[in-house]
Amino acid sequence: MALMKCVMWPLGVFRLGTTVFCSKRELSLFPGSPTNIQWSKVVSDAEKIVGYPTSFMSLRCLLSDELSNIAMQVRKLVGTKHPLLNTARAFVYDSRNNLQMRSLVVLLISKAAGPSKSADDTVQHDMVSGIHASQRNLAEITELIHTAFLVHRGIVNIEELKSCDGPVKDMQFGNKMAILSGDFLLANACTGLAQLQNTKVVELVSSAIGDLVQGIYYENSYLPEKNAFTDDIGISNWMEHIFLSHGALLAKSCQAAMELANHDPEVQSMAYQYGKHMSLSYKLNSDLQPFMNGKYCGTSFSLNCAPVVLHQDVIGREAWMEQVKQAQLKGNLVDLAKLQEAVNAGKGVTAAIDLCRYHGNKALENLHCFPPSKARSALENMVYTVTRFP
Amino acid sequence: MMGWGCRLRCCGRHGAALAGLRGPPSGRGGGGWSGAAGGGRAAAAGKICCPFLRPLVFRDSVSAPLWAPSRLLYSSGAACCYSKTNSETKYKDPFKLGSRDLKNLYEDIKKELLMTTQELQEMCEYYFDGKGKALRPMLVVLMARACNIHYNNCREVQPAQRSIAVIAEMIHTASLVHDDVIDGSDSRRGKKTVSRIWGERKAVLAGDYILSAASVALARIGNATVISALCQVIEDLVRGEFLQLGSKENENERFAHYLEKTFKKTASLIANSCKAVSILSCPDPAVHEIAYQYGKNIGIAFQLIDDVLDFTSCAAQLGKPTAADLKLGLATGPVLFACQQSDGVHQTTYLAQRYCSEAIREISKLQPSPERDALIQLTEAVLTRDK
Repeated sequence: MALMKCVMWPLGVFRLGTTVFCSKRELSLFPGSPTNIQWSKVVSDAEKIVGYPTSFMSLRCLLSDELSNIAMQVRKLVGTKHPLLNTARAFVYDSRNNLQMRSLVVLLISKAAGPSKSADDTVQHDMVSGIHASQRNLAEITELIHTAFLVHRGIVNIEELKSCDGPVKDMQFGNKMAILSGDFLLANACTGLAQLQNTKVVELVSSAIGDLVQGIYYENSYLPEKNAFTDDIGISNWMEHIFLSHGALLAKSCQAAMELANHDPEVQSMAYQYGKHMSLSYKLNSDLQPFMNGKYCGTSFSLNCAPVVLHQDVIGREAWMEQVKQAQLKGNLVDLAKLQEAVNAGKGVTAAIDLCRYHGNKALENLHCFPPSKARSALENMVYTVTRFP
Repeated sequence: MMGWGCRLRCCGRHGAALAGLRGPPSGRGGGGWSGAAGGGRAAAAGKICCPFLRPLVFRDSVSAPLWAPSRLLYSSGAACCYSKTNSETKYKDPFKLGSRDLKNLYEDIKKELLMTTQELQEMCEYYFDGKGKALRPMLVVLMARACNIHYNNCREVQPAQRSIAVIAEMIHTASLVHDDVIDGSDSRRGKKTVSRIWGERKAVLAGDYILSAASVALARIGNATVISALCQVIEDLVRGEFLQLGSKENENERFAHYLEKTFKKTASLIANSCKAVSILSCPDPAVHEIAYQYGKNIGIAFQLIDDVLDFTSCAAQLGKPTAADLKLGLATGPVLFACQQSDGVHQTTYLAQRYCSEAIREISKLQPSPERDALIQLTEAVLTRDK
């Protein structure tokens, strides 16, 4: 029943008070990416521009003893409700389809920036399709870090488990595997970073890991524990948190890619800004997806997604809590369709679209310093795609 | 047949202490051992130069998978090559020499962990309460001074070397936080674990944050070789954790597996942070190797004794539940030895002594200095601690 579908925050079950009001554990690790045809086309065109996709770092990881060990162990989780299972599934599924968004952007911006003015011929000989080997490694490291945190996001708090979650033993085992595989990916990222032999890049990317942790921490703290459905955080705090969890890694990786090619600080800053605004725009787009049809279509959404936060900002906390109360059903369930109707009736959705376009434009502005090229057009097309709304 | 006979002669105090086993086994991670080393120091001081300790060449012992106790015992002893310690200037406490450099260690660590999320910061700082024994930072600053004196007779610790002490302790703590979630531990150092207080999900994030803060501090030192050395540690820690998952059927392999795990989980951090300060100290690769080998050997010895203590001491002494490793089904040295023969504790202690004498042999290649001698004394402290 679509009505009864619960509100979910990625990887978490939305609980009210002490009662679990969701029996179905769902996962949206790659939440609502603009999976439409345009996006796929933009991405596959862009892939052709950057040449061969990877530096084989992730292949090396996948073929390592450690990960095959994990893969064997994860099979034991089949039938349990541990989120790691879905993460693994999503990872395999996603990587089969597309080069992942972050590494693609890093590669494209590397290529768009080209060799720096100061670079001599010796630096350029390791370029393939206009991208340095070190930049390819960086793209891969970015993806490793992102994946590591997808895995670490899915740790379950043992004490909060309810009987419907299945045996505690399974969940403990799943946690163990999730920690180990996340740590393994992070450790590989660290080693890869060290091999880049550039201390500034190590500092940038390490600080991005710190940002990511803080962002995820905020994300977790939205999980309503104190009988409230939503936090009253306001859009500016929300943007700050979202930058940490969804933007900092890409922004800093783009900057680091420029640093690796010896580009000057202005170019580095442009790349950073593109990465930042592109991620924010992308996140806003995916938050908007469930609201695009005008009526509830069965897609669950978080009560801390951009349109809802903006809606709440517009109508005020009290009015919003009243709307939540009206949508509440028996047994701590919430009628998402009713809530969505309320949000759609307000200004939250248009405000979110405006915000998405604002960040899209910011991203585009920062591309102007790069010479026109296929790579630059691909980066622009990505922005056009995420800022296009019916 | 295995020729373990000589261990009794060598074991000295440890033999005696361990023979009278203190009741039920216990865990590791005690809350300070500088005091503990005191009692045995006088006895141990003479012993460390004891000629029949026959230091062995352990250089490749860990990486060679064939390495097994039997092989160890058949290796012939190399001559002691270190110059004698200045016995007149025996320090009452080898920790004292380094403690000046470590005065604000925990404050400095907390500075690295500054952030806007208060609770997360609280979690990250939880173990930096000054109650840990800070063995790693101590080894690091002593090694830094010993190397500096060796190279240009300068005793001062450089700021970058001091940062390595901070970073080593941070990496260590980050791994503890994750280990506690993996093992489902309830207490450490006499208090509740981070995961028990804040839940597993946040604890894992706290561990990740400490690690990232350590990497940022590491990058700021601005030396790519140093970064590589410490990144190796992070990789080793994870691989060590993986080794802990599996075990080997074959007895000899099982022991090699245990030692490899011991190296990766404990010794690699000490070895590589010692190496890092030596790199910052002087350009001579021979010195880097000495620092690394010292750290590796003392690190393995430290863990071996840790595993013995897990087996022999009582919970109150350690702050961790008894026989924690045994309950987790982890094959530690004493357990493995106990499977082979009856006297696992003695044999593990003996093995730890061998590693310590190898550590001494290495460090003795440096110019004599009070710090170098303190590092030698620390090997004794590692062997004689009882918590």
